[in-house]
Amino acid sequence: MPRLLTIFLLSFFLKAEPGTPPFQVRQAMPAGNPAAQGEWLARHVDDRATGRDARLVFTMRLYDRQDRVRERALTVISRRRDAGDQSLTRFTAPPDIAGTGFLVWEHPGAADDERFLFLPSLGRVRRIAGSEAQESFVGSDFTYEDIGGREFEDYAYKLIGDAPGGAAWQLESTARDPKARFPRVVSTVRKDNFVVVHAEIFNRRGEVQKIYDAPRVEQTGKYWTVMAMTMTDLGQKTRTELVVEKAEYDLGLGDALFTRRELEKVIR
Amino acid sequence: VTRRFADVVWRYRRILTSLIVLGAILLAPRANITRIDNDLTAWFSVEDPIYKDYERFRDEFGGTRTLIVAVEAPSKAALLSRDGLQLIDDLTAAIEKVQTVQRVSSLATATVIDALPATADDDGGLDVRRLFDDLADGAATPEAVGARAIGDPLLSGDLISADGTVAAIVVFFDEAKIDDVRAAVLEEIEGLLARAMPPGFTAHVNGSVEITEAYNRVTLNNQRIFTPPILLVTLLAIVFMFRSWRKTALTLVAVLISVLWTLGLYSLMGFDYNVLSSMLVPLIVVLAIADDVHILQHFDHARREGTKESAFKHTVSHLVAPLLGASGTTALGMLSLTTTNIEAVRHFGLGAAVGVMVDFMISIIIVPTWLAWLDEVSPAPPQTTWFEGPMRRIGRFSASRPARVLAVATVVTIAAGWGLTRLHVDTNHINFFAKDHPLSTSAEVIDTRLAGIYNFQVLLEGPPESIKEPDTMRRMAALSGELERLPFVKKVTSVVDYVTRVNRELNGVDTLPDDRRVIAQELFVFGLADQGRAELERVVASDYSTAQISVKLASMSSDLVFEQIQVAEQRAREIFAGSPVTPTVTGSGRLFSTLDHYLVTSQISSFATAFLTVFGVIFVIFRSWRFGLLAIIPNLFPVLAVFGVMGWWGISLNVATIMLASVALGVVDDDTIHFISRYRRDTAAGMSAEAAIEEATAHEGRASLTTALINSAAFSVLALSEYRPTAWFGGLLGLTMLVAFLAEIFILPATIMLLPRLFGADAVHAARRRRGAARA
Repeated sequence: MPRLLTIFLLSFFLKAEPGTPPFQVRQAMPAGNPAAQGEWLARHVDDRATGRDARLVFTMRLYDRQDRVRERALTVISRRRDAGDQSLTRFTAPPDIAGTGFLVWEHPGAADDERFLFLPSLGRVRRIAGSEAQESFVGSDFTYEDIGGREFEDYAYKLIGDAPGGAAWQLESTARDPKARFPRVVSTVRKDNFVVVHAEIFNRRGEVQKIYDAPRVEQTGKYWTVMAMTMTDLGQKTRTELVVEKAEYDLGLGDALFTRRELEKVIR
Repeated sequence: VTRRFADVVWRYRRILTSLIVLGAILLAPRANITRIDNDLTAWFSVEDPIYKDYERFRDEFGGTRTLIVAVEAPSKAALLSRDGLQLIDDLTAAIEKVQTVQRVSSLATATVIDALPATADDDGGLDVRRLFDDLADGAATPEAVGARAIGDPLLSGDLISADGTVAAIVVFFDEAKIDDVRAAVLEEIEGLLARAMPPGFTAHVNGSVEITEAYNRVTLNNQRIFTPPILLVTLLAIVFMFRSWRKTALTLVAVLISVLWTLGLYSLMGFDYNVLSSMLVPLIVVLAIADDVHILQHFDHARREGTKESAFKHTVSHLVAPLLGASGTTALGMLSLTTTNIEAVRHFGLGAAVGVMVDFMISIIIVPTWLAWLDEVSPAPPQTTWFEGPMRRIGRFSASRPARVLAVATVVTIAAGWGLTRLHVDTNHINFFAKDHPLSTSAEVIDTRLAGIYNFQVLLEGPPESIKEPDTMRRMAALSGELERLPFVKKVTSVVDYVTRVNRELNGVDTLPDDRRVIAQELFVFGLADQGRAELERVVASDYSTAQISVKLASMSSDLVFEQIQVAEQRAREIFAGSPVTPTVTGSGRLFSTLDHYLVTSQISSFATAFLTVFGVIFVIFRSWRFGLLAIIPNLFPVLAVFGVMGWWGISLNVATIMLASVALGVVDDDTIHFISRYRRDTAAGMSAEAAIEEATAHEGRASLTTALINSAAFSVLALSEYRPTAWFGGLLGLTMLVAFLAEIFILPATIMLLPRLFGADAVHAARRRRGAARA
């Protein structure tokens, strides 16, 4: 099943469908049934507006189990299309991997997306095989799913209730795939903008394996953006901080920016 | 002094006895040894540099103590079928869910790298993925997946046997938690295996976690199985010797009280029970019975000739000095163990020293008190006459034919010395179990068809990014090559293998790149995929300041492992000379082989220290260097003889048998002190040397025989244990006591008679006169 790797979503929880209008609450939460309420909430998170395209500049800090930090800088451009989303990720630091880039073409309905890797030391573009949704995003503690969003229909939902303080809901998502690495997620969703600000991700043993936090959520133009987020892996004792240094939306990014030629050209 | 002591004890005997019994009752809850703790910190001081190296390694890469499950299929076709590979996949997924499991490595988690073919638009590609992905998406048949695994140098021999009939599932645990729940975790995994195994398939379980647990199980089982027969044999032996159920019950209760006090105080000192401290019980039982038999025999004899008060005071005043001497020397011997750098040995030494002295106090107070309370004036038990006559004859024989006795002893000593040259230091934990024990059979499968159950690691530490340097990579490759050539090494892996593999797929060359940026980017690419990231985390630190080279070996003697590690460290130092990267050899192989090495060498040096300390004390007790020297002969002889027997029988000096020397010395010197003490007292009272020897042999020798028979019978029961160290310990302890008894009644009198100027009655009188003159 194709997945969106449109990093600009950064909604943490669910991907938005192509062409979704800017977010608005379409109806009130149904009363009574926690499953229906959960699905309503999940759908609203899913439909949250994130723009047609975006350019985001990130600083990624990876902390290992000794709390040593490595810093990477990357720029991601992405756009949403009915024919499949596209994104180009370019690392700009540290020097030994600067210029390394990824180009991702998603193909809805096809078995796999197309991914291309450019290694400046080899000076050539390579195709790389697709990763699973619950695999690490460029070697960080985030998974592609954390970044790009989860497929709505891959999970069953249940509203747990209000989070402490009452400004957010707690939502439980249970994977329909019994072999999922992280079969259960309990998320805290802000009531005012449907942004996921905290999540506990459970492993197959039912232990909290990872904790997601979004301490800084800001409105950039008409879009809410998670400007800083942390994923802590309690099992591995590692964590990754992702900070958005600059966010731009609806730039009108054209086809030419998402080609293999562009993947190489940027560096040369 | 001894008479005043006897008067005080007589006056306060009831309150003292009550306090002792009350103490035992209060300490009883602490004397619970149903939980054995063999955590690493029970053995290593946290300050030990070897342990610190391992901690550093563990902090970086996680633990190396693993559980290895070898799934043996009836044929290659069966394992490399869809069902066979599915079994490995299912088991891996199920084991990953078990508590404290941190990571599982198997064919189901193995990564492969493929070059993707070039197209018109690109230069080909790279695919880092799970080996089993091809199976899931139907891209390859199970046979092809299996053939690929067998052909992959990183997987073949490690996760699948070269013949394709055995697959390994290696389980890594959270080492901070596993020791607390080890038994339950292993039970759960074994349950999973038992339920999942199809007909014809066998799961063999081994690895350091399983070995540790097997040790614990066998230790607890031995205590459960052998304690009742040991107690029964002891009980019957005492009944037989003293012909009194009440005295037998009294002795057993006194022994029980000593054991409760010892274990309770051991626990109060903050120490945990482990395989070594479980030896405290047999040690205290042996010593307590020896003390109590002397007291019973002396009291019976005195009671037949006087009132209960006089019998009490006579017994206490006559026995307090030799018992104190005997216990003091044993305690000092045990205390010498505290000089070692192994926590468990230190705790055992201290616990045993305290226990021995507590047992002395308890025995000298409550046994005479209870005997006086029972006030059972029994006729001399039959063995008095059975034993006394023969013992007197032996005394006379030894005194009249000293040269012949010592000639025989010399022949035995030479034979033992010859056996001693055949004695080898060897702790092979697998060989401790019978050949048909699951641990032995699984070791056979894993050692011969997979990469072996032992491992050690070379930890490489340098500045951040240093591991990526081509120079470091080349040195690592050179060291890996050297390590692979070591005998017994079955598999060597490091980050170099991953770089080489990626480079091969990207550039078609099977070598290490020379360019630092190429290495950095190839590692970056490999780490992008989840599987690649996980594998890299196991071999190199995220800032490339630290890396490891993992070395797998077959199970073998820990001394051989120790030797391999010494060689590895030497070669690593040479290869990394002049580099900013420092190599250190560490890992569970190093820990356990060092531990065994420490244990055996420290026990040898402790035994030597104990020997000197014990005889130093004997010099002080007898206030005579000559009798101190005399005491050495019958004490050294049994230890020499038993180690000689071990040499002839091929029993190695290992972590179990080495304890024998200390325990034997503790027991044997007691009898010597009693014998010499009696001999000196009687010669001082005017007896001739021959008569004093006959008396000492008849009375003290009889007590020694009684003790030797009781303890030998009781501890020989252990010889039936399936766990060889326990069997060796039990059998050899029994043998030591019998040899010690023979040395006391033959060699000691013969030495006295052969050197009358040093030990004869006149020499004793002269020494007393000199001491009297000096005091005047």
